[in-house]
Amino acid sequence: MNLLSYMSENAAYLWFLTRQHIELVLLSVLIASVVGVGLAVLTQTLPGLRRALLSVTGSLLTIPSFALFALAIPVMGLGVAPTIAALTVYGIFPILRNAVTGIEEVDPAAVEAARGLGMSSGRRLRTVILPLAWPVILNGIRTATIMLVATAAIGAVVRGPGLGQLIFQGLDRLGGANALEEALSGVIGVVCVALVLDLLFIAVAKITALRGWNV
Amino acid sequence: MSDRPTPSPDAMIVLDGVSKRYPGQDKAVVSDLSMEIRRGEFVVLVGPSGCGKTTTLRMINRLVEPTAGRILIDGRDVTHVDGDELRRGIGYVIQQIGLLPHLTIADNIALVPKMLGVAKSERRARALELLELVGLDPALHADRHPRQLSGGQQQRVGVARALASDPPVMLMDEPFGAVDPIAREKLQTEFLRLQERIRKTIVMVTHDMDEALRLGDRIAIFDSGSRLAQFDTPLEILSNPADDFVRDFVGSGAPVRRLSLLTVADVLGTAPSTAAGAGRAIEVDPGDSVHTALEQVLAAGAEGIEVAVPEEGSRFLDLGTLLTAASQPAKVLT
Amino acid sequence: MSTAAMTETSRSAAGTERKSRTWVLPSVVLALLGTLWLYVGSLDLDSVEARSLAGDVVLGALWQHIQLVVVSTVLTVAVGVPLGVALTRPGIRRAGAIVLAAANASQAVPSIGVLVLLAMIFGVGFWMAVVALVLYALLPVLRNTMVGIRQVDPALIDAGRGMGMSTREVLLTIELPLAVPVMLAGIRVALILNVGVATLAAFTNAGGLGSVISSGIALDRMPVLIVGSALTMALALTVDWLAGLAERALRPRGI
Repeated sequence: MNLLSYMSENAAYLWFLTRQHIELVLLSVLIASVVGVGLAVLTQTLPGLRRALLSVTGSLLTIPSFALFALAIPVMGLGVAPTIAALTVYGIFPILRNAVTGIEEVDPAAVEAARGLGMSSGRRLRTVILPLAWPVILNGIRTATIMLVATAAIGAVVRGPGLGQLIFQGLDRLGGANALEEALSGVIGVVCVALVLDLLFIAVAKITALRGWNV
Repeated sequence: MSDRPTPSPDAMIVLDGVSKRYPGQDKAVVSDLSMEIRRGEFVVLVGPSGCGKTTTLRMINRLVEPTAGRILIDGRDVTHVDGDELRRGIGYVIQQIGLLPHLTIADNIALVPKMLGVAKSERRARALELLELVGLDPALHADRHPRQLSGGQQQRVGVARALASDPPVMLMDEPFGAVDPIAREKLQTEFLRLQERIRKTIVMVTHDMDEALRLGDRIAIFDSGSRLAQFDTPLEILSNPADDFVRDFVGSGAPVRRLSLLTVADVLGTAPSTAAGAGRAIEVDPGDSVHTALEQVLAAGAEGIEVAVPEEGSRFLDLGTLLTAASQPAKVLT
Repeated sequence: MSTAAMTETSRSAAGTERKSRTWVLPSVVLALLGTLWLYVGSLDLDSVEARSLAGDVVLGALWQHIQLVVVSTVLTVAVGVPLGVALTRPGIRRAGAIVLAAANASQAVPSIGVLVLLAMIFGVGFWMAVVALVLYALLPVLRNTMVGIRQVDPALIDAGRGMGMSTREVLLTIELPLAVPVMLAGIRVALILNVGVATLAAFTNAGGLGSVISSGIALDRMPVLIVGSALTMALALTVDWLAGLAERALRPRGI
């Protein structure tokens, strides 16, 4: 009951943090998607480099987020910038990997047919390869997003924005009034954001699949 | 069930009014099936998919528990004995082979002996001996892993594994179904040769009538309603199909197929004597199949065959007489 | 960090991993540590920094960190594997599906949240941190155990049953050995997650390298922060490397 009254009393603040959290994640995912898909496209003819990139970004994912967030401080200071930088680093791997898989799984016959129609390589990429690889790429972006929603909560240790602040504030006031409610609403908020974004991705996947994603 | 006739003494496997009904399904998969399989006999269960042949096979080693009836193996009622123990004494070969990929070939073969507590060195020796028996070089294959073998080689190992504890009974579920047609025929021939040496009681399931005709001493044909339509020798099934279902299932070409099952000796009795030396003849053995005899006659452009008959000396049959005799539907069985 | 992404990471890593990576990673780690050494040596440390970076403080934190990781990973495996096996047994398979769905949904919970809420409700310290770590890392072990066992070819189980193996023998000689690669991948993910979440254990008084990082932040001393973070990175990469080696060594031959 306390939790509910806490949440309703601080609804405006919670909503503000939730929006911050979503913006933070979506911005990081956007950058990571551009980088990830871009790298996958650029390394199409360089399998060696592709493998190296995959294993480097994969190793980056094993680095504890607290350490990565903290390491961004000397370079970028506290606040939004180190949070976005660290989140982007984490987001690249799942997106890159799925983009690579998706592109590799495109039926070579379809690409060959497009070449037979006289399409340039750029056009083949836009009209054949990327649309066919899209479901797999989208799934990578979805995985990255859900992962970053949870990871972003740790961003608060470097004074990053979002719902993580509630968790750390609650921790700072351990034992104080409403400390538990504060941290708990932070956790619940993060879970809700993750679920909502996940549903959103399912919807996007359905819609784009129905329309065939024509460019 | 006591009113049923007692099984004959040379019966190895007896199914006595066996049924299988799954809960929630109104139709039984197998209903009130009775069969007797003799010692050392090779019986093939054949029929369209869903006819209950595999269920029947799997009830013999109780991988599927019958819901009614009795199963006797070598005179012993095994309907309620410990299933695991029962299965250790029955060879089992399946289409997917099912070799364990993380064990070597020798260890795969030695699995059952290991469960039965056979000493390690003895298991190994047995495995090597069995590899030899199924035509694989032990030195080359014993310590490999299944992945390194071809499909045909894997199935030989599958057979070796089933023979590991020298079980009197072997159950085979489409054992040659997964290998390519050429390797399949080779495996079938080799298996027949192996069976001549080991004389196991074998029950095999297949959906391939040709395979059934080639391998089985007797064939049990199930119809789509899970009824045992006919249970007889290949020759009898081809000559006297019990009903339209069997006739359809055997398919066209039955008269020609019979020719490979009939021996020359079979037709001699029904064939009228022809004067010897009337034309150019090919000498054949009474044990040869009519098919082989015809092949030789046609290849040589001869007019007939000459067969040595123990008491009468030699008999000549011209081509027409041979064919007429061979196409008699009701032929005298040896 | 999400366990889903991590699980897939380790799976794809197992596939794409080349022998070359076996020496690349340790040399990266050694270069990182060497650079760190030179960097710290070149600094003129003030008294606060000197105190925070004293050998016994840093090594103590590292040791605490390793203890947290080892203890929680051992417990995670000890709980997750038997539970995962139990949930694949006939009869409670349905429960298994429910547990799996619930576990997957729980991935959205942030690790710091689990740690902080447990600390608030049950108190702080080493063992509470271990409980949080085990809870958080349980999912990949549990799921991979279940997935590993379920993906075993039914024909192999049929063959095993057909040759007279009891369900127990089927489990021990067929299902478990064949599930080992998938299970190992899950354990590796759990290990990496534990290294990461253990850095956050500093916030609930359980020590570890996170305490070096957070004191660097709190005192606004960059050298302290950098040493803490770099050591954490080095530890994480080393653990992942060792786990990769172990994964390869423990995988049954022939699979």
